[in-house]
Amino acid sequence: MAGRICPDCNVAPEPVDHVPDHRGNGIHTDDPENDGFAGLVGGRTYPDCPLPGVSAGPMLRGLRSIRATGQDPCERHARPARPADSWDSHPLYRNLLTHVGVTFSAHSATRGVTSTMSDKPHQNLAVIGHVDHGKSTMVGRLLFETGSVPEHVIEQYREEAEEKGKGGFEFAYVMDNLAEERERGVTIDIAHQEFDTDEYYFTIVDCPGHRDFVKNMITGASQADNAVLVVAADDGVQPQTQEHVFLAKTLGIDELIIAVNKMDLVDYQESRYDETVEEVKQLLKQVRFDTEDASFIPTSAFEGDNVSEESDNTPWYDGVTLLEALNGLPEPQPPTDAPLRLPIQDVYTISGIGTVPVGRIETGIMKPGNDVSFQPSDVGGEVKTVEMHHEEVDQAGPGDNVGFNVRGVGKDDIRRGDVCGSADDPPTVAETFQAQVVVMQHPSVITAGYTPVFHAHTAQVACTIESIDKKLDPSSGEVAEENPDFIQSGDAAVVTVRPQKPLSIEPSSEIPELGSFAIRDMGQTIAAGKVLGVDER
Amino acid sequence: MGKVAAKLKVMPKSPDVDLDALQERLEASLPEGAHIKGTQRDDVAFGLVALFPTVTVPDDAGGTEAVEEAFAGVEDVESVQVEEVGRI
Repeated sequence: MAGRICPDCNVAPEPVDHVPDHRGNGIHTDDPENDGFAGLVGGRTYPDCPLPGVSAGPMLRGLRSIRATGQDPCERHARPARPADSWDSHPLYRNLLTHVGVTFSAHSATRGVTSTMSDKPHQNLAVIGHVDHGKSTMVGRLLFETGSVPEHVIEQYREEAEEKGKGGFEFAYVMDNLAEERERGVTIDIAHQEFDTDEYYFTIVDCPGHRDFVKNMITGASQADNAVLVVAADDGVQPQTQEHVFLAKTLGIDELIIAVNKMDLVDYQESRYDETVEEVKQLLKQVRFDTEDASFIPTSAFEGDNVSEESDNTPWYDGVTLLEALNGLPEPQPPTDAPLRLPIQDVYTISGIGTVPVGRIETGIMKPGNDVSFQPSDVGGEVKTVEMHHEEVDQAGPGDNVGFNVRGVGKDDIRRGDVCGSADDPPTVAETFQAQVVVMQHPSVITAGYTPVFHAHTAQVACTIESIDKKLDPSSGEVAEENPDFIQSGDAAVVTVRPQKPLSIEPSSEIPELGSFAIRDMGQTIAAGKVLGVDER
Repeated sequence: MGKVAAKLKVMPKSPDVDLDALQERLEASLPEGAHIKGTQRDDVAFGLVALFPTVTVPDDAGGTEAVEEAFAGVEDVESVQVEEVGRI
């Protein structure tokens, strides 16, 4: 790797052992094998790089062989390629770790010692909540408390913030600045905020604010396993809190940790905490979250209360801290036991092979010799070969991008949007289906007969909302109205939907990966939903 | 609102497509305000190689739709799919 030049600053790297960069911020590295511990295992510096900042290698697990292409920048300008490491990666926050040469273990007070992060089970963690309730500060606090960002980086920005009269907002300020730095880089790694606790290695999923990205989150490859919902004690449940909770449920998140944040602003009053908890419980009932699975923690991300250490400011609270709650999450289980579901992305004819469907396995296992069925095209056959990364494999599972060929299936027999499943438990094709939806943005009202396009897995099918069965009351979670005439932005409702062309979709209670959808019209994502039940064709 | 990075999966029409040239065409097709921040490649199966450009777009109306449409219209592109999105 010697002799490489950073294309941005024309500086050649120098191998180093554990040396901070010229700004004292950390280490430049370009070694994709070092698994995030650049400073300890042969990172390299670019001593004359004129740009501020540094990098660490990606902390990666389950690596797959994606090749980076193009030039080989020093990071500040680029990171080594991060493998398309399945949906164990998804939407995320701004990069602190590119500023960290070394990663430290959470509670173990072993700063400077290589953590055993890569040995731990991985979790994707979404941090959700209303704007200004303290999400960025909470992420900054988590990264700081787990030693994922060194104190001197915070210190540097703290001074800068004070100079600019923004003292007191260090974490949010750091996050903003690092985001700007990342944007100036040649390459960007989406999964870039990582920390570990005693039990898990977490990647933070930073959901974009705009609703038009909801479609990507529903049809995309990465999904959050669990979520921290941040609700400010001085502001309570707000519209975005509601929307995010609904989306979390739609995206298949079952465990929520609720940080009742900004407790410092309400003088750590237990009564304000209780009120907020009650409001959130009502909201959870509305979207059918089991409140027994939710843990509530009074926090101040700003002051650091109950994040890693029990706070003296909340003597009335005897529950766990946020990091303890994260540690106590159940380990995500890949859906290998579920029936095979593989939405088809493309269908090719390859000379010497024949018809090759390509897609990502959502649930179950595919092996050569399996009898499979493609729905709704309603054809099937025996799988002859399965390839992944150009290599023939004995089996492939959830998250794997595969190409395969099936005896007796021609290129024109199947198409994008079909779902491949096992022949004895074939994908469900809906005549109609009942779904719970939340309307995020619509210029007028939605009535029965409305026919927008539904995006579910790789399928895009026009569907008619045949009836609006129930409208739900956002404040109580109860049914507010049976058979309402219309619903509009902000409403949650149960509707019956009739696809205008055959569509394979599953009840989200049975196969959540194939049970959610985004509704688009007029170039916008207007609603998202999950399937409650399917009336099969 | 800040910016959003999206990793897209672009499948070529066949294993024979010149991926370097395709990458250049993708770059040229970008709508205003969008930038490619690195492109990875992944061997899929039977000689097919997927391109994974990471594209930044503003976190406001429209999402990744304009980029998806632009890429879908590029010669030798079979399909375009958003794999991951996240704020920078």
